[in-house]
Amino acid sequence: MKRADVVVVGGSAAGLTAAITARRHYPDKSILLIRKEKQVLIPCGIPYIFGTVGSPDKNLIGDAVLEKNNIELLLATANDIDREGKTLRTTEGDIGYERLIVAAGSRPAMLPIPGFELDGVYAVVKDVEYLSGLQKRLETVKDVVIIGGGFIGIEFADEINKSGDKSVTVVEIAPHCLGLAYDEELCVEMEDVLKSRGISICTSAKVDRIEGNGKVEKVLLSSGDELKAELVILGIGAVANVDLAQKAGLRLGLTGGIAVDRTMQTSDENIYACGDCAEKISFFGGRPSPLKLASIATLEARIAGANLFGVRRENVGTVGVWSTAVDNHALATAGLTEKMARDRGYDVVAVTIQGPNRHPGTMPGAVPTKVKLVFECNTGVILGGQVMGDSTAGEIINAISACVQNRMTAENMAMFQTGTHPALTASPIAYHMVNAAEMAMKQMRERGA
Amino acid sequence: MSKILIVDDDPDFVLAMRMALEANGFEVEAAMTPEEGISKVLSAEPALVLLDIMMPSGNEGFKVVRSIREEHNLKDLPIIVLTNVHKSRGTPYRFAPDQDYLPVEAFLDKSTDADAVVDAIQQALGERREEPGYPL
Repeated sequence: MKRADVVVVGGSAAGLTAAITARRHYPDKSILLIRKEKQVLIPCGIPYIFGTVGSPDKNLIGDAVLEKNNIELLLATANDIDREGKTLRTTEGDIGYERLIVAAGSRPAMLPIPGFELDGVYAVVKDVEYLSGLQKRLETVKDVVIIGGGFIGIEFADEINKSGDKSVTVVEIAPHCLGLAYDEELCVEMEDVLKSRGISICTSAKVDRIEGNGKVEKVLLSSGDELKAELVILGIGAVANVDLAQKAGLRLGLTGGIAVDRTMQTSDENIYACGDCAEKISFFGGRPSPLKLASIATLEARIAGANLFGVRRENVGTVGVWSTAVDNHALATAGLTEKMARDRGYDVVAVTIQGPNRHPGTMPGAVPTKVKLVFECNTGVILGGQVMGDSTAGEIINAISACVQNRMTAENMAMFQTGTHPALTASPIAYHMVNAAEMAMKQMRERGA
Repeated sequence: MSKILIVDDDPDFVLAMRMALEANGFEVEAAMTPEEGISKVLSAEPALVLLDIMMPSGNEGFKVVRSIREEHNLKDLPIIVLTNVHKSRGTPYRFAPDQDYLPVEAFLDKSTDADAVVDAIQQALGERREEPGYPL
């Protein structure tokens, strides 16, 4: 029987990162990565297949990194785990392990809307062949309806719209697109950007059914409105893939993911789980979190891979940091929005600072940039932040995320030693983050906190 | 003793599930068709419904959920779906609880271990607390 010290099931962001991390921490161990896909898609790049990137083949994670890290690759499907015998049963035979990492990912969620089985209804399946089929189908249609106005939905909408010959409509049940991760005023701005690019947005709209004679012809909303549709894409989230874990009797968590502790160990001390298949807890309060992001998956993988033969890292919980972009308009978030913080019972101070991201504002590339920071009033600890601007928003939010994760206070942030340059950043006099922190402190003082 | 209503057209599965649930102290009612299921939801007043989807091969269970939640306005009656729909159709996607489109407590495959189904029922009924992994 084949054996390896460390066996990783899954070859996407989490599995790959877990294997590389295991190699870094345990250079003498043999590591085998098992995946069923010949080619692995970059998950976050999937919407861009249908516009900017052009095809699934141009959105792949290469295998060179495996060879470079001395990680053996086996293309096989993992069918079962003999936990007692520490053996993984696969389509290519049994494999013995000392430690097993399950990074089985997720599957797209489907809604049981009547008509979901009609030809022309697609989910966002992470599979080259499936997405190639979707791409081919898109070439033949004009009217596209996307159900779900989260980041996947709006990115798909904008990329498909780039062909210039389609009518694209996003249907979102909440009052605003992106409303689960951004405060209302920023959602409205992004909706305006989408509309200005010719995309129709239907918010507070529930789909009643999809109709057609074998093929999709229209989407009917509960309001009675009808949307012409030759193709429907559901971008409504993902469900943990726990088939293997469930079959092996591993404990599941409250949101249906594989239950893990802070070291990413499952209910079996020799088995770890990370990525979309693993249960998550929020950084704020420790409740189960439904968030599934590649950034979370790779963090968990760095924890799991490091802890295989001794505890070296612990998971503090999911902060939830991510960004999205439509053309040159980026929106980024970390931690709690103002609304989320208030809903959870925090006493909140929120400040928004707007100004150019260059100085002076007449410098090439300068665009208005908005930074909103949310603090807990009594302690001054930052709870979250949101950024709207150009591509620099993606890195500004990472700095904010570091502040959130380290529970920094407004005073800490007001005392930042920021590096600035006219061609690269906002002015040192009007640096968004620092000024937002200063303004927040002023409000806290005025409230007697 | 909480009453569980199993709505499923497979008599062997109903029998097996009945035994597992009764062994865990539940009272069990069963319905073999969607129509009988709705009728027993109203007459037997179960604490929770354990619901199949393909009865026999379509999406009847989804209609039962809609009927319970919308026509009969039973928003708080816990429903756990237990189905083979993913496996038998080989879907590349999964159904999952959704507060707007699929308002159920859990969506489980029939391959789920009976103990895990009982766990899910107990969680949905608030009869189970997380147990510490180590002695405190």
